[in-house]
Amino acid sequence: MCTVSAIDADHLELTYADGTRAVTDVSLSIDEGEFFGFLGSNGAGKTTTIKMLVTLLRPTSGSVRVNGHDVADEPRAVRKSIGYMAQETSIDEELTARENIRYACEAYGVPRDERADRIDQLLDLVDLAGVADKRAKGFSGGMQKRLDVATALVHEPPVVFLDEPTTGLDPKARNRLWDYFERINERGTTVFLTTQYLEEADHLCERISVITDGEIEVSGSPAELKSLVGGDVLEVEFDEPSDDDLERAREVAIDSALVDDPDAVERTEAGLFVTSTEARRHGTDLLVALREAGLTIVGFNVRSPTLDDVFLTVTGEEYEGGDDRADEADVAAATGEAR
Amino acid sequence: MSTEPGRKAAGNGFLTDTWVNLKRWMLKTVRNPFVMTFSLINPVMFLVLFTQVFGGVAGGAISDSVGGSASYVTYLVPAIAIQVALIGATSSGVGLVNDIESGMFEKALVSPMHRGAIFLGKSLSEVLRIVLQVCIILVVGFPMFYLDAGGSLGDYVATGVLGAIGIVCVGVLFAIWFTALSNIVALVTRDQESTMIGVNIVQFPLLFLSSAFLPLDSLPGWVQVVAAFNPVTYGVDAARALMFGRDVMTLIDVTAFGGMWNTLVPAVAVLGALDIALGALAVYFIARSTSAEAR
Repeated sequence: MCTVSAIDADHLELTYADGTRAVTDVSLSIDEGEFFGFLGSNGAGKTTTIKMLVTLLRPTSGSVRVNGHDVADEPRAVRKSIGYMAQETSIDEELTARENIRYACEAYGVPRDERADRIDQLLDLVDLAGVADKRAKGFSGGMQKRLDVATALVHEPPVVFLDEPTTGLDPKARNRLWDYFERINERGTTVFLTTQYLEEADHLCERISVITDGEIEVSGSPAELKSLVGGDVLEVEFDEPSDDDLERAREVAIDSALVDDPDAVERTEAGLFVTSTEARRHGTDLLVALREAGLTIVGFNVRSPTLDDVFLTVTGEEYEGGDDRADEADVAAATGEAR
Repeated sequence: MSTEPGRKAAGNGFLTDTWVNLKRWMLKTVRNPFVMTFSLINPVMFLVLFTQVFGGVAGGAISDSVGGSASYVTYLVPAIAIQVALIGATSSGVGLVNDIESGMFEKALVSPMHRGAIFLGKSLSEVLRIVLQVCIILVVGFPMFYLDAGGSLGDYVATGVLGAIGIVCVGVLFAIWFTALSNIVALVTRDQESTMIGVNIVQFPLLFLSSAFLPLDSLPGWVQVVAAFNPVTYGVDAARALMFGRDVMTLIDVTAFGGMWNTLVPAVAVLGALDIALGALAVYFIARSTSAEAR
């Protein structure tokens, strides 16, 4: 385990000129080589935090060191040592894919004799080799996003900040990027990733912090966070239940031997989520009890907790990203790859 | 990837950073020949329509002003050159807003490139474009002059090639303050349409309330007052002095330098001071928007 800090943030606070307190208290210590995930719903302060870390916003109070350089005192040294991909796709639509990457290479001072190879490798990585000399204006949203990823990686920086890098990408492209993020991480690059896909954080990150209302709520490995949920989750679905049916089912579940804490039982649209360490062993008892109470069960499932469950447990709110994801997928399906 | 991770970007010197940005903006200009062409349509239209429609009427007024048998074409070309510079400068702020909206501005700010070089590179590409456009206007003017008055190249630009280069320089000198202004508007509004409307709206009053189209003493009193405070007057007078090789400025009566220098020296001084003042203001706004303060 490496103990050198790649990113050290100490009690960061940021209040915008209009008085909005976007970040109230964020402290982070991210080791060199770590794959770190920053989770939170929209407006929680993820992007504001990342902008302070990459020198784009000056903290109202608190300090940040990245790769040993203070962002306030040595911003240029910090900028040289990081790659940053903003949440909004940032490319020049008037230039071709190749020209966009070349501009980034030049901006970061990638040696002239390495440029051509680097550009080709990156184009290949993000599957844009076939349209390398086409103007980015004609690219679909997903293609533009992929191009943006490539431009953030030109100088192979020791620390990469990725603000929702795979939003709007199709699963194939997303998997390719995941592979690449893992590969650069395996070779020692520290990755700071914000994402709205909880499964993405689960899949990639060694450590995760959940931010709500500008403060870090909880941190830990995905497994540690999942253990916070308090067991496995039994999902039960009823046949078109009325409000009364659901309330009755909830009471049955709370009275069952499965749970001690009434909070472990959540009503969903058409059923229940019951969280219990005994969910696998004694889940069937509850199903029988529910049937005896006159409820028609049309589906059930016992599963390990996901980060969605963690989010629900920690913040007491449904994870907002879930809806966005459905929308994004629909949009992607409707628009197709080539616009 | 073949190289080791975890190394730092080399970064560049100031000049290389400037060149990197200059190249990007030139590439964008070449990519958009329409912008280049369309921004010339208005000035050329002015040149043709004004000389054809007003040429006859204006004749008397301008021969009083610049003397002899001056053609309205030669009188107007310097004004159109300044108009071209004005329009070219307008697009500077629009380009900046585009960059802010597309995220390229932020991308440049988070890179190790020098802040000043990012703007200098962009501005140089605009200067080059204005140089090219003023040259085009000077070239287009000659056949019109030939058809109108039938003179030689020497009659067209009295001060010859050096004078023509001088006119281009005056165009650039004039463009700087307006470039600065359009960038300030861009940074304040951060909106493409507002910037475009904001800078376009002042374009016509600036041109008409100046010595651009007619000698000042043939204009109403209040226009003369406004024109005295209008930078266009100084730009046009300087370019016109080079065109005719004589003192054409009526606003400030300078006699210390002799001939056209009596116009050139004060006009260049006024424009230079204005460039420095607005340039400094633009630098202040740019520094503010790039200093990572919470906005």
